[in-house]
Amino acid sequence: MIRLAIGTLRRHRGAYLGTFLAALLAVALLAGAGLLLFSVLTATPPADRFAAATAVVSGTRDVTLTTTREKHKKGKTKTKTERLSGAGTLPADLAPRLAALPGVARVVPDAAFPVELATTAGPVRGADVAPVIGHGWSSAALTPYRLRAGHEPAAGEAVVDSDLAARGGLTVGDEVRITTRTGVRTLRLAGVAAPTGRDALPAQGALFLADREVAAVSGLAGPTAVAVLAEPGADRAALLAAVRARVGGAPVLTGADRVRADLPGALPDYIGPISVFGFTIGITAFAAIFVLTGTVALGVRQRLRELALLRTIGATPRQLRRLLGAESLVLAAVAALPGLPLGVLVAHLVAARFRHLGVVPAQFTVRINPVVLLLAGFAGALVTLVAARFAGRRAVRVAPAQALVETVVAPRGGVAARAAVALIAAAGAVAVLAFVPLGGPFGMGMTFISSALLLCAVAAVGPLLVRLVSAVPGRLSAGTGAAGWLAAATTRVEVRRTAAVAVPLVLMFGINAPLLLNGELTARLAEDQQAARLAGADTLVTGAAGLPLDTAKRVATLPGVTGAAATVPTRVVLAQGGKPQDYAAQGLLRIGSDDVLDLAVEAGALSGDGTFAASADLAEAYGWRLGDEVPLWLADGEQVVLRLSALFTRYRGFGELALPATLVAAHDPRGLVSAVALRHSDGAVAERIGQHWPELRVVPTAAATRTDDGNQQGAWELLVVVSLGFTAIAVVNTFAISAAARRREFADLRLAGATARQVHRLVDREALITVLAGLALGVAVTSAVVVPFSLAQDGVFRLVVAPATYLVLLGGVAGLGLVAGALPVRLVLPRRGLPALGDR
Amino acid sequence: MRIHGAGGPVVELVDVVRRYAGGNGAPALAGVTVAFEAGTFSAVMGPSGSGKSTLLQCAAGLDRPDGGRVRLAGQELGTLREPKLTQARRRRVGFVFQSYNLMDSLSVWQNVLLPQRLAGTRPDRAWAREVLHRVGLAGRENDRPGQLSGGQRQRVALARALAGRPEVIFADEPTGALDLGAGREVLALLREAVDELRTAVVMVTHDPAAAAWADRVVFLADGRVVSELADPTVDTVAARMTAVTAA
Ligand SMILES: Nc1ncnc2c1ncn2[C@@H]1O[C@H](COP(=O)(O)OP(=O)(O)OP(=O)(O)O)[C@@H](O)[C@H]1O
Ligand SMILES: [Mg+2]
Repeated sequence: MIRLAIGTLRRHRGAYLGTFLAALLAVALLAGAGLLLFSVLTATPPADRFAAATAVVSGTRDVTLTTTREKHKKGKTKTKTERLSGAGTLPADLAPRLAALPGVARVVPDAAFPVELATTAGPVRGADVAPVIGHGWSSAALTPYRLRAGHEPAAGEAVVDSDLAARGGLTVGDEVRITTRTGVRTLRLAGVAAPTGRDALPAQGALFLADREVAAVSGLAGPTAVAVLAEPGADRAALLAAVRARVGGAPVLTGADRVRADLPGALPDYIGPISVFGFTIGITAFAAIFVLTGTVALGVRQRLRELALLRTIGATPRQLRRLLGAESLVLAAVAALPGLPLGVLVAHLVAARFRHLGVVPAQFTVRINPVVLLLAGFAGALVTLVAARFAGRRAVRVAPAQALVETVVAPRGGVAARAAVALIAAAGAVAVLAFVPLGGPFGMGMTFISSALLLCAVAAVGPLLVRLVSAVPGRLSAGTGAAGWLAAATTRVEVRRTAAVAVPLVLMFGINAPLLLNGELTARLAEDQQAARLAGADTLVTGAAGLPLDTAKRVATLPGVTGAAATVPTRVVLAQGGKPQDYAAQGLLRIGSDDVLDLAVEAGALSGDGTFAASADLAEAYGWRLGDEVPLWLADGEQVVLRLSALFTRYRGFGELALPATLVAAHDPRGLVSAVALRHSDGAVAERIGQHWPELRVVPTAAATRTDDGNQQGAWELLVVVSLGFTAIAVVNTFAISAAARRREFADLRLAGATARQVHRLVDREALITVLAGLALGVAVTSAVVVPFSLAQDGVFRLVVAPATYLVLLGGVAGLGLVAGALPVRLVLPRRGLPALGDR
Repeated sequence: MRIHGAGGPVVELVDVVRRYAGGNGAPALAGVTVAFEAGTFSAVMGPSGSGKSTLLQCAAGLDRPDGGRVRLAGQELGTLREPKLTQARRRRVGFVFQSYNLMDSLSVWQNVLLPQRLAGTRPDRAWAREVLHRVGLAGRENDRPGQLSGGQRQRVALARALAGRPEVIFADEPTGALDLGAGREVLALLREAVDELRTAVVMVTHDPAAAAWADRVVFLADGRVVSELADPTVDTVAARMTAVTAA
């Protein structure tokens, strides 16, 4: 059977080219997305700052909740974890207690805290804008860092790693300025240090202070980790057991795990990208499978005549089914050969772009895993096989007699099954759109799922829908000359073929338009809300990296300032039903009589210590009422209970929660004010700020309404580019497959007296009708998704959302469809050629 | 509408040579000179592979000869380029092919009127209906070719050729797939077109009985005109055929 299959494949190379191309691209996309997801899931921190330590006791790094639920008379415990953005501290007396244990050579209390380093020339960061992390000098022994120049830092001094020194053009004796949440300090560079064999650790720059200055500079209550160095020859197991017994449940990490005791901000974040790559693989897998299924089905349908011929010479339906199966397997295997390397290339290109956008850490590398590649190839083969089986399930029963007549029609039927599939898919989409809160963090993902479901529904009853929506353009076309009349007739009669070509157009528009429009809507709403929040402010004061709360307070109390609001970005973990979940939040400090930050408070009022405000949506989701005492976890894992004092609605680009700024600054390791919004009575305020703090930037609020979601938006656009590219190829491919199979029809037309140009016009007109039908359905799918999404965002009914984007996409898809429809026939049928008589 | 040449032949081939690529040397047409007058019914006969279909295709402008000249209604086809060639052909020529070449997506009625639609002329519906009636397909106008038998399809193709009132009809074995009665119908129809409309009909056939309907029979062998017969009867045709095949 395989030999026969290879034979037919070789004989009909042209006819299979389309399917081959679709399989190749599908495999490439699956492999590429699979490799990215695999790489991010298995990514390990690039280096261990605790390499020289035997074990590291870590402070809190996550919120872990364990719930027990009675189920079938058995208690079922569930543990859910959410990572913190900061680091919890350990008791200050832990280190001396551990030092007394037998076999311990040395115990080093380790502090790690973000530092903004600057010279007079400007801010200094590590390679790939890696953050600078501050430590006490004793931590240098844990890696170890060794001095290359200068000496250990004394009070008022600092040591930086060689890489930072080179980037900042620093030499021993220079002055550097450091900003932490406790304030701005000027230090003298005492020395330059480096880990063995390199200038710095990847992904983090190091700055060392005198040990006794750490607490004052970092604002930490204790060490974030305690490292234990064993004596040579000590019994490690016994030592670890002893340490574990002393630390009261704090994690004691060894080996590769030690790195988890580092400051989360100092490690590349591979958790965030997981959702991005998960989404990527979701979209690409859907599009790949969708396109491949359609192409394979089209290919099988175009070979009905050949299948019927095989039936006449005695092939049983079972044999045909096996032939189709074997063909598709050979095809998928051959397609995988170039497909998998292409997938590797795709993964590298996307990763490079994502690194550039900052969606993934600069240290992210694509890891090539044979199992993932095999799975991608296998998935491609499986989809091809199933699609061929499905498309062939009726075709193989085609009556042998059909081979002897001119037209071969696949046995009709299966309408009920198709309608059922369409109904179920559409119902699923409606359920998602109606019952999932689209305004929440999963809104985008959910709208994607509903457009995917709607597209499945459209594909299932494609011919029916295409017949409906092409009726009007068909009728209009019929009145315009012989070609228009013919086009109307062929698109109507061959509605299955029309649908097969129109569905990729529906896919191209229906999947990309909601992605783009919803993305644009959320970005715009965030900008609008940012502008509305700052409507009452005159200027916005920002630092290169942020400013300490104290500085912000002094800016806010300058003479002439009538109102000020400072925000400290942070993250807060909330729990519901035993599941911790983190949210963007702001520490909010308001000074003065004028209200300059308008959060659109809907109930209650913003008030001071011991209270917080939440977005109305969040309060509803968590079932809070004004006055409720709500437990929440701050960035360092500290649990506090705050009273809900206000509900606000302008949370986009801000955060779902507003907490007292001092509380946030005390518990977020960075704890810096990102911006101070000011209202002032006289214009000299800006000047005064410039005199006092030359490093600060003062801009009119009107120029500063951009939010920080830039890289998310960039990732989104890249996704759309990938999916646009793939769906565009699918459109071109189906048009070409369809045209290639129509040589005979075109030749007949020429023999009946059509000029080549008339045939070209006919095909152009058919493409126009098909494109119009495809776009109509695409617009329907898009609207069905975009409108509920928009309603869920702010209650406004929007159909188009972004007219420019909409038009560009409409025009792009239409243009592509028309060109893809027009080109193949011109290749098959040159203008000056004679009608082909042979080859029938 | 009919532009009568000055009494000259409707179709004239002079020294036409047609060589197919890969046709191991022997040309399909090796210098054929033959003319067909308006108002005459000619049959072309010869063994299989002797070049009959090629002759028809060259005469109709569907194929370009490698040598020689073809004149159609006074027009030198060799000087015509596409799309002029197609335009000339659809105005003056009706063709009934060995494979019927109907459009599957159009109905019988639409197929019959297709060449006129493509030419942009107003279709003569009454005549088309009449022709369909004559080929015995009245009432099947709305069927699709896929729903017809082979012979019925051949008759649709013939109706299509007749419906445009061409100056010449080329028919490649038009009765090959027909029963005796239907075949006779088709031949009578062609004869009528010749006698009443002064159409020139050139028909390829293997059947001496069909050839006997013609005014004249041209015999081909190995791409050459080897013999001609005027006012043929079944017996004279059969006898000549045997002689040609034996040679
Ligand atoms: N497209 C082609 N390519 C190559 N050779 C061809 C082609 N068409 C016909 N021939 C060759 O030209 C010669 C004449 O073919 P033609 O079709 O004219 O024969 P015919 O007389 O019509 O035969 P039949 O009675 O079987 O229909 C044959 O030898 C054939 O093999
Ligand atoms: Mg022939």
